[in-house]
Amino acid sequence: MKLRLLGGLLLFSLAVLPSLAASGSDVVAVVSSKSRVTSLNSDQVADIFLGKTSHFPDGTQATPIDQSEDSPARERFYAQFTGKSPAQVRAYWAKIIFTGRGQPPRQVGNSAEAKKLVAQNPNAIAYIDSAMVDDSVRVVDGR
Amino acid sequence: MRIRHLRNPAAATLLAAAALAAPRAHADDAPMFSFSGYGTVGAAHSSNGQADYLVDEFKPNGPGFTHRWSADVDSRLGAQLTATFTPKVSAVVQVITQQGYDDSYRPTVEWANVKYQVTPDFSVRAGRVVLPIYMVTDSRRVGYGNPWVRPPVEVYSLVPVASVDGIDGSYRFLMGDVAATLQATFASSDSHFPNASGFNAGVAKARHEVAIVGTLERGFMTLRVNYGHADLTIDSFKPFFDAYRQFGPAGAALADRYGVDKRNVDFVGVGASYDPGRWFVTAEWAKFDTHSVLGAKSAWYVSGGHRFGPVTPYVTYASMKADSNRSDPGLSLQGLPPQLAGTVAFLNSTLNMTLGLIPVQHTDSIGMRWDFMRNAAFKVQLDEVHVDRTSTGTFGNFQPGFQPGSTVRVVSAVVDFIF
Repeated sequence: MKLRLLGGLLLFSLAVLPSLAASGSDVVAVVSSKSRVTSLNSDQVADIFLGKTSHFPDGTQATPIDQSEDSPARERFYAQFTGKSPAQVRAYWAKIIFTGRGQPPRQVGNSAEAKKLVAQNPNAIAYIDSAMVDDSVRVVDGR
Repeated sequence: MRIRHLRNPAAATLLAAAALAAPRAHADDAPMFSFSGYGTVGAAHSSNGQADYLVDEFKPNGPGFTHRWSADVDSRLGAQLTATFTPKVSAVVQVITQQGYDDSYRPTVEWANVKYQVTPDFSVRAGRVVLPIYMVTDSRRVGYGNPWVRPPVEVYSLVPVASVDGIDGSYRFLMGDVAATLQATFASSDSHFPNASGFNAGVAKARHEVAIVGTLERGFMTLRVNYGHADLTIDSFKPFFDAYRQFGPAGAALADRYGVDKRNVDFVGVGASYDPGRWFVTAEWAKFDTHSVLGAKSAWYVSGGHRFGPVTPYVTYASMKADSNRSDPGLSLQGLPPQLAGTVAFLNSTLNMTLGLIPVQHTDSIGMRWDFMRNAAFKVQLDEVHVDRTSTGTFGNFQPGFQPGSTVRVVSAVVDFIF
């Protein structure tokens, strides 16, 4: 009983502390301009990057292209689309990897490399800085 | 089982598959072999020196009576090799070292299987796998993947099973915006257990194990339904029940009711979690019925936490109870000659002692996870275990001074890491 009270107090006191939020420019999810995919909501994008589905809603194969943990776009992408911090994404994949259920998406170093790869592959999906969008790729996140 | 020797058909299967598949590996895909690992370094202390705090029936000892502080509760190291032979054929071998039933850290094979990805959403595996009968059973060794120091003991000790040898299949499909996964496992296992919980040391042989798991995920919500069944035999109980069988139909009836010989055991569980990122809440309920002297028991927990940057405080309430009788009048002593009456009285008291071992307790826990660096997390947890007046709870190695009805405080600190 004492412990439960203590727990409640702790959660309450921490709740009034300011929490950290990722800041910076927007990150958008993109596919190749050759892709038939036109729009995805953020849950659909999240499911592809978290390995919960292997294809787009129209049934075509989806190959996610992730960025390395050193890329600033990565943290913003996962915060925006999955609500997960970098540590939570690592914890999520630890459970998948060490139960033999899968491997995380292929990684590239930054948004420029991600854009180059996604432009060439109609099945690929990546996230890049919104400022880098050009006509080789199509932004798919509807919200 | 994690505590088994390496005599497994899984390793042979794996080697055969490697030999067949290796020449066909593609150079343009992901690297063929990847090595990774995880581990936990921890220590736990129990306030009650008259019994050991045991997190499952495979632990030979723990903090309390045997040790003031014990590093054996949570410490472990796991290493995994994943081989991707072709886009469809892969294999995984995971070896763990942790305190085993024999109190050694002899490495054991937790996973060793070959996976064939029939379609992007349907895969089958053969070899050694872990029964996925709870929300985090198959990943419960991976401390880094979970918010707590360890999954709530009441629920996760209910079915003391880790890995099994067999086949499983997993099919994933979308129903609107709900991602559904159906998983079925057919397997068998031999698990060694020590004497710490009060049962004589022995081997629990589970045959015709079937587990069926359905998972539904939508946004931040996960729902899960688990069902399991097996034929369980524990040979070390056999002499005891054979002794009852010497005493005519009434003795045989007791042996039939309580014996653990090809006994149908079944399991059912449901779980739900909601994790929008900033906070999480997760709850699970499960029931395990052995239709034997090991009884029927059910347990549940609810746990929640809030993430403040790298720091995640959490609270958990967990409870387990007996759903079957915990005493039995046994065989009547009436009309028996004195020597035989003594034997029967001894059998009856042993039967009642064993029935009384079905744990009844609840635990309040408070803890904190701190992701202090990339790939490592520090956790502290305080558990207040309230053992029922009629029970010895999940404790073991009891000393005469252990009082049922005790409240025991357990403090744990761990560092979980992945590499």
